[in-house]
Amino acid sequence: MDFFDPFYIAIQLLLSPDTELLGIIGLSMTVSLTAVFVSLLIGLPLGATLASFEFRGRNLILLVSNTFLGMPPVVIGLFVYMMISRAGPFGWTGILYTPYAMMVAQTILVLPIAIALSKQMFESLNNEYDPLFRSLGISRTNRIFTLIIEARVAMVTLALFCFGRAISEVGAVMIVGGNIRHATRVMTTAISLETSRGELAVAMALGIVLLAIALIVNIFSQSLRTRLERVTINA
Amino acid sequence: MPDILSAQNLRFARGGKVLLDVPSLTIKRHQTTLVLGQNGAGKSLLLQALHGLLTLDNGTVNGPQRPAQRMVFQRPILLRRTAGEHFRFLCPNSEDGLIHDWFARANLTSRMDVHCHALSGGEQQKLAVIGALASQPELLFLDEPTAHLDFESTDCIEGLVQDARAAGATIVMVSHNRSQAERLAEHILFVDQGQIIEASDSGTFFAGPVHPASQKFLAHH
Repeated sequence: MDFFDPFYIAIQLLLSPDTELLGIIGLSMTVSLTAVFVSLLIGLPLGATLASFEFRGRNLILLVSNTFLGMPPVVIGLFVYMMISRAGPFGWTGILYTPYAMMVAQTILVLPIAIALSKQMFESLNNEYDPLFRSLGISRTNRIFTLIIEARVAMVTLALFCFGRAISEVGAVMIVGGNIRHATRVMTTAISLETSRGELAVAMALGIVLLAIALIVNIFSQSLRTRLERVTINA
Repeated sequence: MPDILSAQNLRFARGGKVLLDVPSLTIKRHQTTLVLGQNGAGKSLLLQALHGLLTLDNGTVNGPQRPAQRMVFQRPILLRRTAGEHFRFLCPNSEDGLIHDWFARANLTSRMDVHCHALSGGEQQKLAVIGALASQPELLFLDEPTAHLDFESTDCIEGLVQDARAAGATIVMVSHNRSQAERLAEHILFVDQGQIIEASDSGTFFAGPVHPASQKFLAHH
């Protein structure tokens, strides 16, 4: 393999992508974006609540969440596999080896990150605004809602971090998705497959394509940040 | 004049040091009370305790419920929004016409669509003051609202405070500016080392303070 082969192949793939590659890219984006969306939907209000209030079970949530932060993706994949396999408690869903299973695995992987980072982000904001909120006597719900709005710009970075974690994941989606061609194959599992076949140039080229996607997402998020800084809120 | 707020046995200590020790205090309704004292005397702490922002070791404060009392902080706490949006957050039910009136009174009409953090220090503080006044509180706490501000902004804020007082609000304001206290105060609380060592009407206080610490304060201001 020539050193520059992967770059030639990557450029070829990017300039004239075949249907299969487009399908893989599309599925990668769908699975990862869905996992990030669900994680933020749960993680942001939970992070804001953990940062703002003391309540029963708070330490337990933090303990579980922080433990999952250090959990290897393969173990998460295995855990989800056991839960949704035919003998598992959620076997009735029948989602094993489907993109839905991959979404579940990636959500479990990303959610602790969303909780931990948003808690840290909201803690800093809450410290800043706490005297004002208490002086106004606003409700808990209003406090959390306001904190989320005030963190809108930082949230884009958080979402980007979560997306990076989700789309680069391979172990868990391989286990619960099965890397089935035209069904559950995503960028990372395709790279893994090509590597195991000895097609290092193709594998590296796919890696470069993945990097290009990350670059596009970054450019988009940068523009979103700028827009959000100027956004008008009619609260 | 009836009391709008009363406090008993206020005590707040940290690291073995008593930072606030007020056995009894009442604030008269429809009066401007100035809290005077040196830096670090406990003036802001007293204000926070009276407004219910401080978790006290001991003591009770009985005053009007929110939103009948409001506070303006020494460093304005502003949202990451435009001045108009911040105002709407503070007074959600304000109509557009009323908002324009308040901005005009504070000479901020042209700054309504400017991000709060892009406003000057004086503009930020004026925004905080009109945001507090617009809800027409019965009791308004002001923690050195004109500290580090130029004459024009100070004059504007003092005007707004005097208008609020004339409209029937009760004002409790921290300051270490003697001339400001003489302009605004009807009643003086002099704080030293966390204790109110002198409480009297403004005329009496400035004519002849009783406590040596108050005398020293006036001699140097």
